[in-house]
Amino acid sequence: MSLTIPSRRGFLLGLGAVAVPVVLAGCGFTQQSSPSGRTDTLTFTTWGTDAELAGFRAAIAAFEEANPGSTVELNAVPYEQMFTNIDAQLQAGNPPDIFRVPYYTFGAYAGRGQLLDLSPHLTSGRQDAFTPQAWAAVQNGEGTYGLPHHTDTSAILVNRDLMTAAGVTEIPERIEDAWTWEELAAIGDRLKAGLPAGTSPWAYNWQGNGVTRWLSLLFQADGAFLDADQVTPLIDSDAGRAAVEFSSSFFSSGYVPANNTIASSSYASESWFSQSVAMVWSGAFQLPDAQDTASFDWTATYAPRGVRGGGDFGGNALVATADTAQPELAAAFLEFVTDADPMRDFCRAASLLPTRGDLLNDDLEFDVRSELAPIFAAQAGVVQAQDVAQVASPSMSAIIPVLKEQLDLAFAGSQDAATTVANLSSGIAAATGA
Amino acid sequence: MPEATATGVPTTAVASAPAPVRSRARRPGARAEALAAYGFLTPSYVLLGIFVLLPLAGALLVSLQRTDGFGTGEFVGLANYSRLLGDALFWRSLGNTVLFTAIVTPASMLLGLLIAVLLNTALPARGIFRSLIILPMAVSGVATGLIGVLVFDQNSGILNRLLGTVGIDPITWQSDAVPAFVTIVVATVWWRTGFTMLIYLAGLQGIGPDLYEAARLDGANAVQRFRNVTVPLLGPTTFFLGVLNVIYSFQVFDIVFVLTGGGPAGATSVLVTYAYETGFVTRDQGYAAAIGFVLLLFAMMFAAAQWRASRTREVTE
Repeated sequence: MSLTIPSRRGFLLGLGAVAVPVVLAGCGFTQQSSPSGRTDTLTFTTWGTDAELAGFRAAIAAFEEANPGSTVELNAVPYEQMFTNIDAQLQAGNPPDIFRVPYYTFGAYAGRGQLLDLSPHLTSGRQDAFTPQAWAAVQNGEGTYGLPHHTDTSAILVNRDLMTAAGVTEIPERIEDAWTWEELAAIGDRLKAGLPAGTSPWAYNWQGNGVTRWLSLLFQADGAFLDADQVTPLIDSDAGRAAVEFSSSFFSSGYVPANNTIASSSYASESWFSQSVAMVWSGAFQLPDAQDTASFDWTATYAPRGVRGGGDFGGNALVATADTAQPELAAAFLEFVTDADPMRDFCRAASLLPTRGDLLNDDLEFDVRSELAPIFAAQAGVVQAQDVAQVASPSMSAIIPVLKEQLDLAFAGSQDAATTVANLSSGIAAATGA
Repeated sequence: MPEATATGVPTTAVASAPAPVRSRARRPGARAEALAAYGFLTPSYVLLGIFVLLPLAGALLVSLQRTDGFGTGEFVGLANYSRLLGDALFWRSLGNTVLFTAIVTPASMLLGLLIAVLLNTALPARGIFRSLIILPMAVSGVATGLIGVLVFDQNSGILNRLLGTVGIDPITWQSDAVPAFVTIVVATVWWRTGFTMLIYLAGLQGIGPDLYEAARLDGANAVQRFRNVTVPLLGPTTFFLGVLNVIYSFQVFDIVFVLTGGGPAGATSVLVTYAYETGFVTRDQGYAAAIGFVLLLFAMMFAAAQWRASRTREVTE
């Protein structure tokens, strides 16, 4: 067999012929072999802290061991690009089989037919494992479009050194004794008088999409922003005005630093870590960082109560995409990950709250500052199912910018409460199509 | 006997014929050269078509729809564009973008020019100073924004602490409109001055020293030499930088997104941050595409201005 040396022109043509498909494939113009098309292989996209990813990897290993022949490919991405990627993949028809989604984003996917209705695939009685609030967060219409994996709600982290220096030594130790709004304002006044110059009583964690945490105050006022139909706005009410007035007083009374606005690029926790504030609203996920970083004596207490106790229902669900080639396997994996042992291990390591009723009790443990776990668990207990159902509205992605804009105007622009709730109401109506 | 030209047409016939059509003789091999040229151009045109023109046409189609990106959108004609007219936040973002451009472009160019003139002279450690000024170019916009947060955070930022040490009250960099706008301007000017300096430096080194020598002999002082020699001869460079900076300023995103998030109360919202919020947070992708096309319109206007002027504005020594 003879070997001929190609001419220069032939070589370049050949190189081009080889390179073009490679370049186009790299750019996504040719269909790569779809992992979801392979038998018994699921693709799973998520973001996460090191502890969360370790928890997912452990659960995947256990699932693969319990289901020989089945594999799950984990794709960990930065949170910042998670949903632009997912949206692009859904629009291109090449999404992962499973992904992780915050409850406030869940409705945007479920309400637009992008998620698999798990109802026909779940084992009977599955609903009973979860708290009613968590179950409400993954419902859309008549279907169940995900399984609630963990939750997170804001309590208050307290800098004991600053509080003691300002003469405030009594901190609520039972949910029943949580400060009322009036008591919190009185504490704010005492702290303002007793704290060093340049230090504020507290900071609220409503930056960015955390604006949904402002809804805690609305719920504490026994208000709602959507009716049960998830379309009709209800925020133009006494409760709505009370929540706006109370949160605006954080700025007008100087309880929070002036830059603790919703649009601020500085997160509330940064002010607490730098000891610019004595207290900060925070989820339990912050405990490991606080343990490593805070150089002062600190603890946690409950969020305040207005007409009733209330809190935000943060956290994430796990969902399968509507066009997954293996719905049964996807549902089996979601059930496996939300079984008691994997959920307990995940939540303990990541300082998050489980969504299973049997785990959310006094036995709840965190790897870090475990004695504070019951405070966050009790705070989660005052969240009501109807509050969660509103946050899981399909229109939430359009409601969030309305909340951000109007509350920013109320806090930074001194817009009055009546105007704010009226604008919120019309903005929410436009978002839901009411 | 009329003399035949290279084309074979008699000269007398050319002189007497009314408006003859000139036909140039095709050089041997010209066709092959043209084919080769097209061959070399084709990959660029293909890539341009795939990655620029096709997405642009797609975006135009999206801008004519009401869509959240999932499923088929609803065709609404020019409704998204007419909606822009009554959208206060759009006009505020456009106003902020124009104001940002009007401040940042001359400021960064003036600073860049002054530093370039300074560093074009015999200065000790000139290389080190040049490197220091150019260094911000190596930093991404996001990193610049993060550096800006460290500097301008009104509780724990470096700047307020420095001001505090000399008895000046903290400035509300993040909670008041004007100081917040100042932060994005300062961060951007810091970031971009190195680039303008670099281009001006290249322009300065293209001016012959004999011109300065002649001006000096004519009795021109330093200011007069700068005004009457340097500035006119840097005209093309200034024009190039002006157009480039204007287009860039209209597209500003990363610094604003990281440093102020468009706040407080929309005070630093610019067109691209508004389009991003609309497209990727609200998922109103048709409307976001319409905002993008308005941006494209401005960019094209400045690009056209550059194209027209570059044909006539060739200033040489």
